[in-house]
Amino acid sequence: MQHLIDLTTLIKATLIAVLIAAIALVTLILPAEYNIDPTGVGQKLGLTLLADAAETTTSPPQPEIVSADPEQVVEVTVPAGEGIEYKFRMNQHDKLFYEWITDGEPLYFDLHGEPEGDTTGYFESYAIATLDSMEGSFTAPFTGSHGWYWKNTSTKPVAIQLIVNGQYQIIGL
Amino acid sequence: MLINDNRAYRLVLLLALSVVSSSALAHGVDDNTRSFLQQNTGVQFGPFLYIGAKHMLTGYDHLLFLVGVIFFLYRSRDVLLYVTMFTVGHSITLLWGVLGDIQVNAYLIDTIIGLSVVYKGFDNLGGFKRVFGRQPDTRLAVLIFGLFHGFGLATKLQEFQLPGQGLLTNLLAFNIGVELGQFAALAFILIAINFWRRSAFFERFATFANTLLMSAGFMLMGYQLTGFTLQ
Repeated sequence: MQHLIDLTTLIKATLIAVLIAAIALVTLILPAEYNIDPTGVGQKLGLTLLADAAETTTSPPQPEIVSADPEQVVEVTVPAGEGIEYKFRMNQHDKLFYEWITDGEPLYFDLHGEPEGDTTGYFESYAIATLDSMEGSFTAPFTGSHGWYWKNTSTKPVAIQLIVNGQYQIIGL
Repeated sequence: MLINDNRAYRLVLLLALSVVSSSALAHGVDDNTRSFLQQNTGVQFGPFLYIGAKHMLTGYDHLLFLVGVIFFLYRSRDVLLYVTMFTVGHSITLLWGVLGDIQVNAYLIDTIIGLSVVYKGFDNLGGFKRVFGRQPDTRLAVLIFGLFHGFGLATKLQEFQLPGQGLLTNLLAFNIGVELGQFAALAFILIAINFWRRSAFFERFATFANTLLMSAGFMLMGYQLTGFTLQ
């Protein structure tokens, strides 16, 4: 079932395989994936841009916004078996960076916004999931109140630490 | 006749290559899929089926291993037997890994998957017979590497903290999707290899092809090991 080749050819084939892999790794793969570029070939081919792009999309909010608007830390507790809302007033196109973590228990949540002056009960959800922590940002699609609905289905109260910065006014619970 | 054959064979090879290279991602799942998985609640049979199939069709590590496994299998009975061994292996660990919440480092698992590709290339060249004088049980090897591939699939799903509600059904859907994707990929690979076998090329290039396979395996290993040391 195999293709039995003589030992010299086998050794040669194995060494060539290692060599090709090493060259491809050092010149192409590591620069593009991890921005490790010992030969400089990756930079010349523009491959390191790929790794840079991946890094910037996962990096925290830009420093200028942080300095203009320092972050705030809010602590809220969701009683056992109940749901609460925590909201911010934001103008259209305002941006909010956030990070929250519970004291262990995952919570069902709906991150959503309600347009100002709306009486129909309309709201738009940006994210719905069950998690024990989350980090991200969103841009308000309209002026109004925006924030979280958290539901605690467990039998113990769950504390949430919420860190925010951006353009907003706290409405609160 | 000869010219026609040659053209058809080239076309199929081209098709197979484009499948292999299409938007494959090493560590798994693209952004759309990611946000779906993170927001999903409850039973979602169709989407999980699709994600499983897509993961297998675009996961070049699994495909390379499959290419290696069926490279020298001429009888459909053998193809079926070996692919079943692989399927049994990765189904066991996929289900066990997610349900048992077994956390295995994704980089290390993917390194072993890279090693499985190296192994198969080396094995196809008759390396074990030549160097060690004996052939390890190839069916058992495929089963064992199948177990590692399944852990790889499991770690990819576990990255998403899937909610417990409907987990088993979603997991089964994902697993069935994986098999469907594998089946589709296998059909392409088999057609391409069968065309290739008919040409005089095959014997001459078998050594070359399996050397490249080993090389690709080494690349996967280096890539994942670097990721492991950087994390």
